[in-house]
Amino acid sequence: MITNPKDQITSSQAAVAVASILVGAGILTLPRSAAEQMNTPDGWIAVILGGLVTMGIAAVLVKLSQRFPGKTFYLYSQEIVGKFLGYLLSLVLVVYFTLLAGFEIRTMGEVTKSYLLLATPKEVTMIMMLWVGVYLVVGGINPMMRLFEILLPPTVLIFFVVLLLSLQIFELDNLRPVLGQVTPLFKGVQTTSLAYAGVEAMLILTAFMREPDKAVKAVLVGIAFPIAFYVMTMVMVIGGLSVDLAKLTTWPTISLIQSFEVTGIVFERFETFLLAVWILQIFTTFASAYYFAALGLSQLFKKNIHPFIYALLPLIYLVAMTPKNVNDLFKLGDLLGYIFVFVAGIMPPILLAIAVLRGKKHGPKA
Amino acid sequence: MSERKQLKTKKIGNRDRTRLSPGQAQQQTESSQPAVTVSPDDFSSRLELMKTEIKQNPDVVFRRFKLGFANLEAAVVLIDGLTDKDLINEIMKSLMYGVAETPPDPQPAAMNIKDFIEEKILPASKIKAVSTVKEAAEEVFTGFSALLIEGMPEILILETPSWKSRGMEEPVTEALVRGPRLGFNETLSDNISLLRRAIASPQLTFVDYWIGKTAKKKLVVAYMDGIVDPEIVREVQTRLERIDIDHVPESGYIEQLIEDNYLSPFPQLQNTERADRVASALLEGRVAILLDGTPFALIVPVTFSMLLQSPEDYYERWFAGSLMRMLRFAVAFVSLFGPSIYISFVSYHPGLIPTKLALSIAGTREGVPYPSFIEALIMEVAIEILREAGLRLPKPVGQTVGLVGGLVIGEAAVRAGIVSPIMVIVVSITAISSFAIPQYGAGIALRILRFGAMFFAALLGLYGVTLFFLLICIHFVKLKSFGVPYASPAVPYRLSDWKDFILRMPILMMKRRPKMLHTKNEVRKG
Repeated sequence: MITNPKDQITSSQAAVAVASILVGAGILTLPRSAAEQMNTPDGWIAVILGGLVTMGIAAVLVKLSQRFPGKTFYLYSQEIVGKFLGYLLSLVLVVYFTLLAGFEIRTMGEVTKSYLLLATPKEVTMIMMLWVGVYLVVGGINPMMRLFEILLPPTVLIFFVVLLLSLQIFELDNLRPVLGQVTPLFKGVQTTSLAYAGVEAMLILTAFMREPDKAVKAVLVGIAFPIAFYVMTMVMVIGGLSVDLAKLTTWPTISLIQSFEVTGIVFERFETFLLAVWILQIFTTFASAYYFAALGLSQLFKKNIHPFIYALLPLIYLVAMTPKNVNDLFKLGDLLGYIFVFVAGIMPPILLAIAVLRGKKHGPKA
Repeated sequence: MSERKQLKTKKIGNRDRTRLSPGQAQQQTESSQPAVTVSPDDFSSRLELMKTEIKQNPDVVFRRFKLGFANLEAAVVLIDGLTDKDLINEIMKSLMYGVAETPPDPQPAAMNIKDFIEEKILPASKIKAVSTVKEAAEEVFTGFSALLIEGMPEILILETPSWKSRGMEEPVTEALVRGPRLGFNETLSDNISLLRRAIASPQLTFVDYWIGKTAKKKLVVAYMDGIVDPEIVREVQTRLERIDIDHVPESGYIEQLIEDNYLSPFPQLQNTERADRVASALLEGRVAILLDGTPFALIVPVTFSMLLQSPEDYYERWFAGSLMRMLRFAVAFVSLFGPSIYISFVSYHPGLIPTKLALSIAGTREGVPYPSFIEALIMEVAIEILREAGLRLPKPVGQTVGLVGGLVIGEAAVRAGIVSPIMVIVVSITAISSFAIPQYGAGIALRILRFGAMFFAALLGLYGVTLFFLLICIHFVKLKSFGVPYASPAVPYRLSDWKDFILRMPILMMKRRPKMLHTKNEVRKG
């Protein structure tokens, strides 16, 4: 309905998009939050379990979307639960995406301020990135997908090489005992699941897919990437820094890379490379959230998307500037986690159940 | 009803008869279109009309004579210097004496004189007839000759163009170590024949266009019928038909008039002087545009990977080809980001480079009064000036300028403490890198963008460089060239096209034409 053939994306693009959206702020913070919650070095197991849970959630999301080919959540939610409730749920999703965009931008601003540009006000870096985001988002979904495809391979390459370099301070003992206590694992899964926030993008992306029946496969492949990223991060960070140290540092992954030097090659320190690709990945998450929020508004009000893109810009900036400090920022992250549980974990199964019960299906007209 | 039908057929019959008898035809044409159409009756006035249409210029030749086989006046109109004198003489000889020994018909004018002349007299290979003086005049200016004969309503246009042109030489801008030495020249027909010789296949199709309202020029669109995506040909044709300009001096005009995005720094059409390059592009399923008067042919659609390719990648074995490809990608990166990365390291993140290097950089920068951005800007601008100056001078002088500029000024600038030696190294490596890019236009694009990257680096350090990289990538993925995404084959992922991307896989393995071009016939091999 909203998608003309030009706006279709391939299955591999959808997978890349899911991977790019999911990999975001979590890379730098996940080891700390997991260690705080669990107090055991089993974070990597929790990450895998969290990923599996996310895969289950994603399957439900996709199944729901597949019942309404060519329609995004904003349109079909009204068909399932009626106009008013559908509107409300869609608005929740729009708000969630706006908050997410602001959160990512602010996280980027904080990290840049503390590691790259010590003297530059973070407002400058954030506004610059917002404008770059506008430039991308006005182009629509296809350029976004292509950009994600360009950025993913260098990210994977640089990220893994840099993390592997930390093997020199890696100590297996830091990861032991494996499964010494099982109970913290449940707490851990709760935390790590939040790192996969972004999977609800499938509520919208499925509508754009050329072959929607391959959506499940695409999303599972897409989630496999962040699982690999996060497991690698957890293992290397906990192994390199130990649980106690990981708990104490704000951005444990950067601290890990900062804690060693490699001599003999051109560069001695590598956190810049990590930060560079991380900024790229933050940008992909931010841009997607931004686009989905604008798309939601435009579809709810049945207007052209461009005014909404520009209207959202100051809103996202306001959201980004609201937290007073890093701790506030992480509280915003927690809030986002709760909404994520609602929009991805609670709402879709209920909607799916209603849709099945009411026999709502927007297939080929019978 | 039936009556009307009868009338109609009668009319047609009438017209047929008029064509047969010249007397009636004269009357009809005279009465219906007296001004425009040539009145066959009044030969001298027709000639006058021709003269006013062509304007009396010293290089226009009006040669009046009498036909040898009939007592009729005739005239040849041509432009001196654009026509083949020998051929004209041959033609006139045959017209004046030709069939005198064997008089075919006592009254050739009574039968169709045009057919008679075409079939039995004229030795020219291509003849066509036009009916208005205006059309004839236009043809005359492109080197054709107009033949007017008393009593014949049409004007015959004889194919006699011949002019001095440069011989085919090795292309200067695209010299290869290995590969054909032949490049295009300024004559369209020569270039077309060169392409024909490269691709001996009836599938090779040429479509003619005349471009330019005041001064017309011939333009040819070439493609392989049955391979190329007809959508692309149609797109090229609609864009060419939209061109509305008085004159096109060079194919660069065409390029700028039909490109997708005139704000983009990247070239969206490829220009080349090499016939082999055009031939392989055509066989890949691309479209070529050749313009008369320039050796530079245009190839569409363009993807950015083409800008980093050279025909040699394919002529050499694949190891060498792949290595050269990878080198060029690296070179493109250095050429784009070299100075900006240096600037951001030196002014924002000195802690990230090895301590010893940081110390030595700081040591050499001691006494340099400017921030590294200004320092880099001075050197970059100096290099651009040197390049520009050396470009137009005669070769020996150009080399001297390079030597004097590069060595003497560089050395002096360092001694004088205006720039640091490391900056000279960085800028020189960058400059050499940008010259290693096989496409001149792509090199220019990267050089322009390099200044943007330097600016971002000066403003925001590595974060700025990352943002600039993002900006370029975004522009890249938004850009299209004739419906094909500019960033292909990198994205959207098409693994089969990656065989000819960063690596140049063995030709044995490249069995299909590029998928991104949606060719009608993908099979290349096997």
